[in-house]
Amino acid sequence: MMKKKFPALSLLILTAIVIFCFACEGLMAMDPRYMDLAYCNEAPGKEFFFGTDTMGRDIFSMICHGGRISLTIGFLATLLSTILAVFAGSVSGCAPARIDGVLMALTELFLSVPGLLLTVFLQAVFGGANVYSLSVVIGLTGWMSMAKVVRTEVLQLRHTDYVLAAKCLGGGFFHVLFRHLAPNFFPSVLFMAVMNVRNAIIAESTLSFVGLGLPVEEVSWGSILSLSENALLSRSWWIILIPGAFLVGTLLCLTNLGNYMRGNANRRHSNLGCEKNHKKNMKQL
Amino acid sequence: MRKLYIDRMLYNVGKFVLRVFALSVLVFTISRLAPGDPLYAYYGERVEKMSVAQQEQARERLGLNEPLFTQYARWMQGACRGDFGISYQYKTDVKEVIAARIGNTLILGGLGFLLIFVLALWLGLFCAWREDRAADRIICKIGTVTSCVPEFWLSLLLLLVFAVWLDWLPGSGAYSVGKEGDAADRAAHLVLPLAVVVLGHLWYYAFQVRNRLLEEVRADYVLLARMKGLRGKQVLYRHCLRGALPSYLSMMAVALPHILGGTYVVETVFSYPGIGTLAYESARYQDYNLLMVVSLLTGTAVIFCNMLAGMISGRIDPRMRIHGLPGGGEVRG
Repeated sequence: MMKKKFPALSLLILTAIVIFCFACEGLMAMDPRYMDLAYCNEAPGKEFFFGTDTMGRDIFSMICHGGRISLTIGFLATLLSTILAVFAGSVSGCAPARIDGVLMALTELFLSVPGLLLTVFLQAVFGGANVYSLSVVIGLTGWMSMAKVVRTEVLQLRHTDYVLAAKCLGGGFFHVLFRHLAPNFFPSVLFMAVMNVRNAIIAESTLSFVGLGLPVEEVSWGSILSLSENALLSRSWWIILIPGAFLVGTLLCLTNLGNYMRGNANRRHSNLGCEKNHKKNMKQL
Repeated sequence: MRKLYIDRMLYNVGKFVLRVFALSVLVFTISRLAPGDPLYAYYGERVEKMSVAQQEQARERLGLNEPLFTQYARWMQGACRGDFGISYQYKTDVKEVIAARIGNTLILGGLGFLLIFVLALWLGLFCAWREDRAADRIICKIGTVTSCVPEFWLSLLLLLVFAVWLDWLPGSGAYSVGKEGDAADRAAHLVLPLAVVVLGHLWYYAFQVRNRLLEEVRADYVLLARMKGLRGKQVLYRHCLRGALPSYLSMMAVALPHILGGTYVVETVFSYPGIGTLAYESARYQDYNLLMVVSLLTGTAVIFCNMLAGMISGRIDPRMRIHGLPGGGEVRG
C-alpha cells in the first residue's frame, strides 16, 4: 500500500501567493491602474521589480492586484458550481427514474455545448463584464461533470439502511442530504472543487485574454496578458513570462493539492513481473 | 436478428435527432435572449438610417415581435432548407463564411487529433512499462506541469521563443501573403499551433492510458500469461493493451470534437483563420446568426461522437454488448 505524500511545498507556495495577493496594499509601490507613459516597456530593475507593460503600468502591482481578482473569481465560481452540482446531483440521484432521466439528459445537453462557447453566450446575455458576472458565468458552465459524480455517489447511498432509517423517522430531503449523504460524497466533491477552482482561473484568464472577459482596464492575470501582442512585437519578455509564471504556479499548486485529496492510491503490486517487482514482493514477504 | 439491428439503429438515430433538436432550442433561446438587435442580422448598418416607424415595420415583417416559439419554428423552417441567415459582420450567407474557414480548422484539429491519438497511446505504454521508475516519474511530473499551462499562455511562450527570439517559424495566419498554394509555407505556419494543440491535450489522455494499463496489469490473467512463459512486454502489448483499448477508443471518440473544436483559443492567438477565430469574433460583435451555426455545428459533433463512443465500446467489448447484438448469438445477457 502506498500513501501519497502531502504536497507541503505546493501548499506553502499557494499560501504565499494568496498572502502576496491579498495583503499587498502595503507592498504595492504603485497604483496598478496608473499608466505612466514615461516608463513604457521598462525591463525589470530596481524601480520596477517586474518591469512595466506597454501602457506604462507597474507589473509587480498588477500581479498583486490582478491575482486578487483572479483568485476571487476562481473561488466564487467554484462556490456557485459546487452548490449547483450538489443540488442537481442529489436531486437527480434521489428522484424517481423518469425525473432522473430528464435531469441527466439536461446535464448531457449542457455538456455537449462547448464550454467556452457557452461562457461566451452567457457573457453576452449578462452584458458588461465585472468580477461577479464573470464568476456567475464561469460557475454556471462548470457544474455538470461534478453533478454527475455526486449523482453516482448518491445512487449508491440512497438504499443504504441508515438513509432509509432517516427517511422513516421523517427526515426531509435536506436533512438527509446534509446529515447523511453529504458527509459521504464530500471527499470526491472536494477533489473536484479544487480542480474547479483551477478550471475557473483558467477560464477567467482565457476569456480576459481573448477580450471577452474583464476589460483591459480591470487588471486580472488574464487581462495583463491580453496586451501580449504588443509585448511580442517589442520583445518585452517580462510582460509575458512573469505574470504567466504566477498563473501557472498557482494552477500547478492547486492541481497537486487536488490530486492529494483524491485519496490515497491503494494498489496491489503489478503482475507484469520485472526484476523490480520481484524485489518488492520479496521485501513484502 | 436483422430486425433487432435495424430497430437499434432507428432508436439511435431518433435519439440523435432529439438531442440535436433540444440543443438547437437551447442555443436559439439563448441567442434571442441575448442583448443586441437581431434587425442588424438582416439589414446590417442600414438599420441606423431607418426611421423608427420603418424599423417597427421591418420587425413586424420579419416576425421579430412574435412569440419566441413562432420565431423558432420559422428559423427551423429556414434551417431545414439550408438557410441559416446572413452574417451581420461579413454581410454574406453564414454558410459561405463557414465554408471558407472550416477546412483550416479541420486540418489543424484533425492533425492534432491524429498526433494525440498515436502519442498518447505510445506514452501511456511507455510509462506503464516503466511504472514508478525514474522515466515514468519524470514524465508524470512534466505531464502534470503541461496540463496546468493554459493553452493561450503556451501559445504565447512558443511565439516568444520560436517566432520572436529565434525567428525560425512564422507566428500568425495560415499562409504568407501571396503563397496560398505553397504547401511548405502552410506547413511552416501549422507547426506552432499544432504543437500547442498536441501539448495541451496529450498528457490528459496519456495519463488515462497509463492508469488503465496499470489496472489491467494487476489482473490475474497476466499472472497466467507469465506462467505460460510469455515475456512481460509481450503480455503488455498483446493482452493488457487489448483490454485497455475499448475504453481508449471510446474516450478518443468523445475527445474528437473537443480537440477538433477545442482549437478556438489557439486559433485566436495565432490569428489562424478557422472556425475558432470566427466563434470569438461573432461573439464579440454579437453576430448571432453566425454564432448559432458555429455552436450548433460543434454541439452536433459532440453529440454524434458521444453516441459513437457508446457504439464503439459495444462493438469491441463483449461485456458492453446488448444481448444478441451485434453479430453475437454467443453472448449471454
